Amino acid sequence: MKTLSSTKAVVAAMLLTTLTTAGAKAQGQADELRRDTLTVPPQSPLSGSADKVTRDRMNKGLVNNPIEALSGQAAGVSVTSTNANPMAMLNSVRVRGTTSITGGNDPLVIIDGVSSDLATLSSIFPGDIESFTILKNAAETAKYGSRGASGVIEVTTVKGHGGQFRISYNANVALQSVYKNVEMLGADAYRSLAQRLGRAWNDGGSSTDFTDAVTRTGYVQNHHLAFSGGNASSNYRASVGYLDNRSVVKTNAYKNFIAKVDLMQKAFDDRMTIDMGVFGSSQKNKDLFDVQNVFYSAAAMNPTFSYGRDASGSWSKNPNASQISPPDALLHMKNDTKMLNFNTHLQVGMALTRDLGMRLFGSYTYISQENGQFCPTWVWAQGQAIRHEAKSENWLANCTFDYAHRWGIHHLKATLMGEYQKETHSAFWTQVKGMPSNSFGYDNLGSGAIRPYGGTGSDYSAPALASVMGSVSYTLMDRYTLAATSRADGSSMVGDDHTWGFFPSVSAEWDAKAETFLRDVRWLSHLSLRTGYGRAGNLGAVSPYASMALMEQNGVVPMFGSPTTTMAYMRNYNPDLKWETRSTTNVGVNLGVLDNRLMLTAEYYYAKTTDMLYLYDVPVPPFTFDKLLANIGSMSNRGLEIGLSAAPIRKKDMELNINLNVAWQKNRLESLEGNYRGYTLTDPGAVPIGQLNGAGFHGGNNNIVYQIEGQSLGVFYLPHCTGLEKQADGTYRYAIEDLNGDGTGDADDRYIAGQATPKMTLGSNISFRYKNIDVSLQMNGAFGHKIYNGTSLTYMNMSAFPDYNVMKEAPRQNISDQTVTDYWLEKGDYLNFDYLTVGWNVPVKSRLISALRLSCSVNNIATITSYSGLTPMINSHVVGSTLGIDDKRSYPVYRSYSVAASIQF
Amino acid sequence: MNIKATLILTTAAMLATSCLDENPRSQLTEDQAFDSSTALYQNTVATLYNYIGGNSDSQGLQGTYRGVYDFNTFTTDEAIIPTRGGDWYDGGFWQDLYRHTWRNYDEALYATWLYLYKAVGQCNLSLDRLDRYGKTMLTEHELAVSKAEVRALRAMFYYYLMDLFGRIPLHLTTEMKQVEQPERSVTYRFIVSELQECAPLLYNKMSQHEGYYYGKFTQGAAYFLLAKLALNAEVYADDCWTDNVRPEGKDIFFTVDGQQLNAWQATQAYCRKVEDLGYRLEADYAANFCITNETSAENIFTIPMDKTLYTNIFKNLFRSRHYSHGSAVGTLSENGSCATVAAVRTYGYGTPDEDARFRLNCYADTVSVDGRVVIMQGGAPLVYMPLEVRLDLTGSPYEKTAGARMYKYEIDRTAYADGQLQSNDIVLFRYADVLLMRAEAKVRNGEDGTDDLNAVRRRVGMAERQATLATILDERLMELMWEGWRRQDLIRYGLFHKAYDQRPQLDGEDDAHTTVFPIPQRAISLNGTLKQNPGYETE
Repeated sequence: MKTLSSTKAVVAAMLLTTLTTAGAKAQGQADELRRDTLTVPPQSPLSGSADKVTRDRMNKGLVNNPIEALSGQAAGVSVTSTNANPMAMLNSVRVRGTTSITGGNDPLVIIDGVSSDLATLSSIFPGDIESFTILKNAAETAKYGSRGASGVIEVTTVKGHGGQFRISYNANVALQSVYKNVEMLGADAYRSLAQRLGRAWNDGGSSTDFTDAVTRTGYVQNHHLAFSGGNASSNYRASVGYLDNRSVVKTNAYKNFIAKVDLMQKAFDDRMTIDMGVFGSSQKNKDLFDVQNVFYSAAAMNPTFSYGRDASGSWSKNPNASQISPPDALLHMKNDTKMLNFNTHLQVGMALTRDLGMRLFGSYTYISQENGQFCPTWVWAQGQAIRHEAKSENWLANCTFDYAHRWGIHHLKATLMGEYQKETHSAFWTQVKGMPSNSFGYDNLGSGAIRPYGGTGSDYSAPALASVMGSVSYTLMDRYTLAATSRADGSSMVGDDHTWGFFPSVSAEWDAKAETFLRDVRWLSHLSLRTGYGRAGNLGAVSPYASMALMEQNGVVPMFGSPTTTMAYMRNYNPDLKWETRSTTNVGVNLGVLDNRLMLTAEYYYAKTTDMLYLYDVPVPPFTFDKLLANIGSMSNRGLEIGLSAAPIRKKDMELNINLNVAWQKNRLESLEGNYRGYTLTDPGAVPIGQLNGAGFHGGNNNIVYQIEGQSLGVFYLPHCTGLEKQADGTYRYAIEDLNGDGTGDADDRYIAGQATPKMTLGSNISFRYKNIDVSLQMNGAFGHKIYNGTSLTYMNMSAFPDYNVMKEAPRQNISDQTVTDYWLEKGDYLNFDYLTVGWNVPVKSRLISALRLSCSVNNIATITSYSGLTPMINSHVVGSTLGIDDKRSYPVYRSYSVAASIQF
Repeated sequence: MNIKATLILTTAAMLATSCLDENPRSQLTEDQAFDSSTALYQNTVATLYNYIGGNSDSQGLQGTYRGVYDFNTFTTDEAIIPTRGGDWYDGGFWQDLYRHTWRNYDEALYATWLYLYKAVGQCNLSLDRLDRYGKTMLTEHELAVSKAEVRALRAMFYYYLMDLFGRIPLHLTTEMKQVEQPERSVTYRFIVSELQECAPLLYNKMSQHEGYYYGKFTQGAAYFLLAKLALNAEVYADDCWTDNVRPEGKDIFFTVDGQQLNAWQATQAYCRKVEDLGYRLEADYAANFCITNETSAENIFTIPMDKTLYTNIFKNLFRSRHYSHGSAVGTLSENGSCATVAAVRTYGYGTPDEDARFRLNCYADTVSVDGRVVIMQGGAPLVYMPLEVRLDLTGSPYEKTAGARMYKYEIDRTAYADGQLQSNDIVLFRYADVLLMRAEAKVRNGEDGTDDLNAVRRRVGMAERQATLATILDERLMELMWEGWRRQDLIRYGLFHKAYDQRPQLDGEDDAHTTVFPIPQRAISLNGTLKQNPGYETE
């Protein structure tokens, strides 16, 4: 980083000449804006493969949390977002896809050195973030050991810095409006169709578009105020932020209040540096109780019914449509969460000698989550209220010695670290039924008539993790670097004989441009090559005490005249649980030409997960339960990540920058077979993981997505539909091919019809600046995967009519069938125009205001896709029951229109 | 790495390891769970009663979906769940049951298998722990009594497994070893001898009443089951059920109280033992199924139900009645199951001789609740059409109303969980069945069973009938409708694999291979040594 100049003239000049001032529209502080202008270009070619996303590369449209700021900006990082429930994205961040089949796929989040998670990250104000660094290769994640097995997102927040006292204020306001929804029959069409078919139906006398009625104009406002000051040996920064988000679906809203203070003090002739930070947030979410049921009910409700309550105070309901409820009544259900987050860290750094330094680091995090749920008697017989509280504490302490010595052409660095982490988790919940009034919500559980067995409970767990790590890095002539790390991780959660796992890694880097034979190649501004190999442990799939033989309550029975709770084993336990190991090999190149106006980074990796933790299917008998958590199978991931940035125009008054990142990924479930204590566990065949829900969709014949050995995780395994077959009554059925040759085409005849996860993902940003005006366009895409359009299978089925409304298209196609086949399996490829932002850095000449930026954005402009459903942006990344299945739960597609101002005093 | 670093690393590792022990607080180790004789009984014996009923699919012997009860009921001429437009298609599951086109990969079949073997596995574990901890805490007799209760329960679970799946793995230990899959007759003999040995050690008390023995598997249940096992001896002792040749009941012998008896005599002997325990017919048929049916002297083995205390659910009523019918009684409902046309004809529905139990077991015609006719959506009165049932009713004018619906159990208007969590105990074994078993055994043995048959008929005011195999089978349907016995009865009568009601015989079903279900494919995939039942494909 270049030195900072505080003179206004220089800063103004920089503002004019540097593209990166376009940064951080919504939350960008003029304060930080100015620093950006002085930062070296974002993808510092020497930063290895660790991908650093600085403020200028973060998303600039309407950004409500830091995860949105990162979406689409880094190759190999996938975030499911845009139309989904804003909070759902918390579980949807993946670095290089899914590497562990059962769990532990969330990347580790490190905020200013403090071990954290995605939920905490989401509570930080986006404008408080200085940079994200994505660590993907084993050699890079080695310093975090097992916690970093699924990739690491290092977050650096904005700190104070030497300089004069500053105040900055940012605000943005956005309106969100739905532009696409499922097209169901309107009231008139519904009436005439029901009459034509002569089916028993009911005319509610109204005309309601329920899918429209559950939505509203969304409204978002964010405010952020920051103070900073100090000097080179002592400085501080403090900020407060407030976010308020009312989503486009009624009752669905989020609020977040944040306060953050960071201090830095140097002492003893600058030989000691003390950093301390405190961060707190209070988040309130009003979520939908059952997302799928709200959208399913809104779509399938008889449109001749009225939306609100009638004179008698109740909603019109067709009892024949038992799987749906009046949407307005469903929106009276509550699912509110309050999250409190307290986070503090202290680091003392000391220079012991000229070459040797020591760092002592400690952090403490406290998270409290309170959830209240309420189901009124209108939609839940006798009503139900639930309170759930979960508290967790996390202590982490480490001590690090850093040694660095340079003599002549040699440069040696070594690090030795010891670390201990202890967590405690406790939870308490209670559920009551038989509510005497719908007025209490979840605020008077005492009014519930009964507290059913199993509804009230508490639990406690306290896992611990210890590590020691040593690493050495040697650089010759500033060109050749060789590094090795050796790490031992010990966990309380594995079997007693397997507490410690050892995970080494090595890497090498060559700065080819520094070679004499390239030094004079003037067009080539940078060339470096790197490679690495490393192993990392992962225990994400293991919960505390899983390796122990423990008994839990299995129910309540009458025993000698009184109801008695009894204990039993509730699962097969495995005393041999050990670390799942992932070994990664990577090779990459960084290339810069024409003064780095064109930069290319490319990296290929191959990762193999062995001793894979998975709930294996085991034979019953002799096992008592059908699943066993064990380390048996293996999985591989390989991929190529390419980042390209070009600056075709770089002039004083005009700049054009184009960034593109593309990632190809191939995942393969190699094996689920092996030995457990001499017992051979064989391939379980196709194991279903996702199915459809709703009327007529219960049970195993509606499975869609499976896990199959030798395939990618999550493949569509479906009967093949050869076309629509006309029936005697004029309706059509899905004709199924007899693939297994047993004489009939039915649910038995399945084939592998495609994968649910994209083969390729793309993120691209084009930004243009002319004088003080800048424009930025972001596009994201995913390709090569498929989506099961269960929504259309359901809403095109005429046999459900008139109890359940159908799509406008349904009468024409006249399908009277809801058999699952590949007929509704569609290509999922899409390119989404995420946002367009226009900003203006207002040239102010005022003693009071030192910088001012105004901007406006449109988010989620349009999507190019052949997918016929509402949106192809469903869960295509996270292995779970919703993977690859569009089943009546997609949020209506909406655009956000926002304006923002950023002022610095 | 130099020596110093190595030393530091090693010391740190040793220090850290001691901080990596686990001390669970919300679960128990075995030593904690079995620390007194009461706790030992509680967590080895009482704990098993959690597997009699259930509250999720395929769990429990009755009351949930897609489990033992459904495979014994919706596969027969007693009841059916037709496809009703957008409802109850469920990928063809219910149609497959009715048509006998179930398949070895069926998820519900595997889930049922897993449920029953989970219960067996818990029994094996309990026996092992009783031996280990009971030696010091219990007297020899106490230990034998506790073990007898566990062994009897295990025998019962094996009985259901053998009845459904034919040739099954017989696994009797907690050892992880290759399971054996003996012929059906071997498992059958094992079940019989276990129950014979254990019965005298069980409580000779009635367990259907609330109180000290509530819900327990007592002598009455054991003798009832022995009677069932003897009555079905021709089926269970047949290891090759696809050759249309059965051993004769007269040639299958049991030792009862030192006497050598043939299957029919043994059935009668065990029925007599049940009778001697004091069970008797309730004067009022409906008293056995009312909300307070704990007082019935007729019920022998029940699933205790209490909407505020226990978690077992009963969905059988909930899934049968029409939506508007459900609303009228203040619960939800799913408008699914109904009696077949053959079943209502057996009752003489629509004839002057309609059996009195028809209206006790089924809702038909115009439905009234509290004296008011139930009105459907759109204003028409709710009229169930018993004779309009078809396997797929989609598009029929009676799509939602065809079929006589389940009654039998008094509706608990204050039931929780949408009407699924009620207080009527679920009846598994009942004394009327004992009388009908004895009547049948007598007829099969060439004796006269008319008295027993007519005892059952008299109670509901029906005219006497001569006991023949045919009249007894009809009587069993009328008396025991919705109680989950029909599949077994049809198999015993050799009718299950024949055409009945609207069901044609399948191609290739003449060999009666459908009288047992296939071993679930996943069980075979995971254990290559398991042999599939004849007539079913192995993939």
